[in-house]
Amino acid sequence: MTQRRSYAVGTGLFIVLGFAALAYLATQTTSVANSRQGSSYPVETRFANVGQLKVRAPVKIAGVRVGSVQAIDLVPGKEEAKVTLSIDDNHKDIPDDSVATIYTSGLLGDQYVGIQFGRSKNPVKEGGELGLTRPAQQLEEMLGKFFGGGSAPDHLGGTFHVTGNFTNIGGLQVGAAVKMAGVPIGSVDSIVIKPGSSEATVTLAIDKRYSQIPDDSAAAVFTSGLIGSQYVALQPGGSPEYLQEGDELVLTQSAMQLEDLIGKFLVNGSPSNNKNGGASGDAKPDNAGKK
Amino acid sequence: MTTRDDNVVIRSLTQIGACGLFLLTVLAAIPRSMRHGRETLRQIWFVGAMSLTIVMTCGLFVGMVLGLQLYDVLSIFGGTSATGTVVAIAIYRELGPVVTALLFAGRAGTSITAEIGLMRATDQLDAMEMMAVDPVAYVAAPRFLAGVIALPLLGVVFCAMGVFGGHLVGVTWLGIDNGTFWSNMTAAVDVHKDIINGVLLKSFAFGIVVSLIAVFQGYTTPPTSEGVAYATTRTVVASSIAILALDFVLTSFLI
Repeated sequence: MTQRRSYAVGTGLFIVLGFAALAYLATQTTSVANSRQGSSYPVETRFANVGQLKVRAPVKIAGVRVGSVQAIDLVPGKEEAKVTLSIDDNHKDIPDDSVATIYTSGLLGDQYVGIQFGRSKNPVKEGGELGLTRPAQQLEEMLGKFFGGGSAPDHLGGTFHVTGNFTNIGGLQVGAAVKMAGVPIGSVDSIVIKPGSSEATVTLAIDKRYSQIPDDSAAAVFTSGLIGSQYVALQPGGSPEYLQEGDELVLTQSAMQLEDLIGKFLVNGSPSNNKNGGASGDAKPDNAGKK
Repeated sequence: MTTRDDNVVIRSLTQIGACGLFLLTVLAAIPRSMRHGRETLRQIWFVGAMSLTIVMTCGLFVGMVLGLQLYDVLSIFGGTSATGTVVAIAIYRELGPVVTALLFAGRAGTSITAEIGLMRATDQLDAMEMMAVDPVAYVAAPRFLAGVIALPLLGVVFCAMGVFGGHLVGVTWLGIDNGTFWSNMTAAVDVHKDIINGVLLKSFAFGIVVSLIAVFQGYTTPPTSEGVAYATTRTVVASSIAILALDFVLTSFLI
């Protein structure tokens, strides 16, 4: 009997320990606020583009979480997304002219909906709509604007061809865009290495509408965005002569390898990191020595 | 049932089919096995509580090594504050349930198989039938039930120890800020996706599979000492394969 009782006690202890561990995981290592299903009220918003916003993404006011995204649907027949926000009941005082914006937390973080208060005295009603929204900023578009990236022009009204020699074309591919002042004016027609040469000869097909390009223009291989595709940028020179079919661009600048750039950045940055971790770094050999 | 002439495909299919039928038999016997509640309790003690030591030790070391490795890699990008997040998510979603199930198959599955196999070899199961005691309800079902109940609990304990191990290495040893460690973790871990679907559901599924394989292999052992040896080996091999394959399938549904 005592034997049986010890089994029962041990098993009971085991089960209690299991549930204690579960309670520990659920309360200490997760945000209870993330899953709190307290009373909340829905508010509708419409966005031109929700980007990577996901259901259950947080809704924040001044950076403080006040609710979550309940549903994301497409408005029927429109190129518009209807996002239903579920906001906690103790935040009832959101002005009805507030602006809902989709933000990204950090460069690569998740997206969330931020609400900036308007000046209206009337709070938004339950099931009401926030009319003023700003869509998600697509990282590609932002970087595109920043770096003058974009895509090749869709249709070309006849082209003429010029060539340029590059020592390194990086990840440039046939069909990549050719741009001047950030505007796509043509595409890369072919990339070959001529026999006996160590340089890549890139043939550019440029739209005939852009025929007035000085013949001393420089061509450079750029990258659109952090991980975007590469394109050829033309920087106009000052020559009165214009580029003709079959001309060669003499001034070229090869591709900057993103790896090199980031490598430089990281290598320059890392010594300070090492200093921060210096105390712990010193501890390792000590411990090894003791063993 | 099977002969030596059958090829490996036929043999495996026969095994899987017999295993499936056996699952139905065991499930049908569970209500009847409730009369032997103490036996189930004793089995939970044996397969669950007795496995705690190995599960807790392994959980601690898995968490510690994850913390160490992640700190090393993440320091390249200056992102050591994410160590806690990645430790927790990796353990909850994959390592916790899978490693616990593998340990469970090795620690408890083999002993279940050997015990039932020896009962079979020494005609104890037949003797029970002679005495009008249903061996499925008295021997197989309590062990199956115990495994299904014990594995999720063990999985949760493993995860808790893993996070503790990660904290031990990351915060206490390597000096990540304590607050950052926890707040990044709580911000990223989701109760529903990571703990209920990750730890509990997976462990529950693995519990069914491992316990079924262990009980089935023991119950269908050829009644020789060699047969018991083979059955024990097959329990570990089949359980390990089943756990890892099922893990992939479950993950692809849950992710």
